[in-house]
Amino acid sequence: MNERAGERGADPGPPGGDAFLTVTDLHAGYGEARVLHGVNLTVGRGEICAILGPNGAGKTTLLRALSGMVRVRGAVRLDGADLTRRPPDAVARRGVAHVPEGRGTFMPLTVEENLRLGAFVRRGRGEVEADLERIHGYFPVLRERLRQPAGSLSGGEQQMLAIGRALMLRPRLLLLDEPSLGLAPIVTRELFRIVQTINEQERTTVVVVEQNAHLALDVAGRAHVLETGRIVLSGSAERIRADEQVAQSYLGYRV
Amino acid sequence: MAGFLQQIIEGLGAGAIYASLALALVLIYQFTGIVNFAQGEMAMFSTYIAWQFTAGGMPFWLALVLTLAVSFAGGMLIERVLIRPVEGAHELTVVIVSVGLFIFVNAAAGWIWTFLIKDFPNPFPGGAIEAGGLTVGFSTLGILLVVGAVMGLLYLLFQHTKIGLGMRAVATNPESARLVGIRVGWTLALGWGLAATVGAVSGILVAPLLFLEPNMMSGVLIYAFAAATLGGFDSPAGAVAGGLIVGVAETLAGAYAGFIGSDLKIGVPLVIILGVLLVRPQGLFGRAAVERV
Ligand SMILES: Nc1ncnc2c1ncn2[C@@H]1O[C@H](COP(=O)(O)OP(=O)(O)OP(=O)(O)O)[C@@H](O)[C@H]1O
Ligand SMILES: [Mg+2]
Repeated sequence: MNERAGERGADPGPPGGDAFLTVTDLHAGYGEARVLHGVNLTVGRGEICAILGPNGAGKTTLLRALSGMVRVRGAVRLDGADLTRRPPDAVARRGVAHVPEGRGTFMPLTVEENLRLGAFVRRGRGEVEADLERIHGYFPVLRERLRQPAGSLSGGEQQMLAIGRALMLRPRLLLLDEPSLGLAPIVTRELFRIVQTINEQERTTVVVVEQNAHLALDVAGRAHVLETGRIVLSGSAERIRADEQVAQSYLGYRV
Repeated sequence: MAGFLQQIIEGLGAGAIYASLALALVLIYQFTGIVNFAQGEMAMFSTYIAWQFTAGGMPFWLALVLTLAVSFAGGMLIERVLIRPVEGAHELTVVIVSVGLFIFVNAAAGWIWTFLIKDFPNPFPGGAIEAGGLTVGFSTLGILLVVGAVMGLLYLLFQHTKIGLGMRAVATNPESARLVGIRVGWTLALGWGLAATVGAVSGILVAPLLFLEPNMMSGVLIYAFAAATLGGFDSPAGAVAGGLIVGVAETLAGAYAGFIGSDLKIGVPLVIILGVLLVRPQGLFGRAAVERV
């Protein structure tokens, strides 16, 4: 596997060399269980970057490491600033919004309260009100449900709410962990279309972990393949799509 | 009929006291998932602090405010020092810590103030209002007013402030709360501080009706457990309603069920606890424990 990484996996970096997020030799785990064994990757400013990999590879752990939810060794830099070992609230304050696996909905709270929580670390009331409007623009169904408990939303609506909540931070970096989980394919496609729009309109850099590799590679500019805690392959979406092993393992066909 | 109404009002007065201690229990349960057996003892200790202030000649209401501030800080400190280290530990460990806290606070109060009973000043005038055949003591009215004000303030805090929203977020989904940038550790400490404050109110209100001594709150705690069980441990509004219902039930039972009398009254909360656990374990206002997806 290392050989494979050395041969084809080394991260050539984003085109133009304008790295927004740089992860260097990142190690992380839970107690005795080591999960990430030296992850290296870069994400370019304003790009959508997909993380692919089998179950248990450490994709969720990687995102949690980026947002300060697990202890790490190594380095995480965002736009030149060191984020390593900062607590989650400090990372959020730097503009990193994380939609966790399972959506992280505050079930008994109303849809509006869920959205406002996304702006918890921000100041400036007027801007927050304006952002609520902006998010209704992306997700009109949320406007109709503002006073409803978030737990009463459908799975797709909850995922929209989760992304809306993340946008309330005005994030510079948006981390999405398996947004398609449990959703109908048509809903997932709609969701990815909106993520793409957000990325284009707001220049938000997006890192998306996704089991549905087809969909992820459709919207992503570049992708990284994570296997047992290491990046084994990095490159443009086309290049990843063309990789024989990726095709077999994640796309379900031979190139 | 007037006599019956009168009993109900008396019952609400007692119930308001149970309600505030029950609310303290529920707050801590919601934030940290801990059933705090030491809640009554913490309230008792706060009451001694208030007594100490007034014994030094301080006006009652100033002593009250100072005591609530000290209780708030004390509650936060307890969370930081004692509860934080066992966060996420086995339930039994946490129960033992809370029982240990019970014993420690009780002993500390006895050591500082002795186990001799003390008179606690009644902040309310002795008379009563008479209207429509009802006679309602100022003391009962005062208790209802104070508890009502405390509940109102808590409601405003939780429903209409950013900190309150953050606290509710932590209570429902701590993981996600961390991700949106809420400092969960401090929020939990804040929850303990608030609970200690609300509990202190119950101690200070009940002390003039009983005598101040280190075991003063043991009976009240049982009523508060009944109230929280009845209302649902995950529902602050339920705890308040439960407290009022328990207070009224207790008063009516004492007045009308001759065989119960004042000696057996303490059985009322136990019957309520058992009944609720058998019939509707989540309480009147609680959510049934369903798996969340
Ligand atoms: N809280 C935890 N405590 C201990 N081990 C954990 C914890 N969370 C994850 N792990 C372990 O870490 C490894 C990687 O888990 P992770 O959730 O990061 O994988 P993943 O790539 O996101 O998988 P999936 O595709 O199933 O979501 C797994 O072996 C898992 O068992
Ligand atoms: Mg995962």
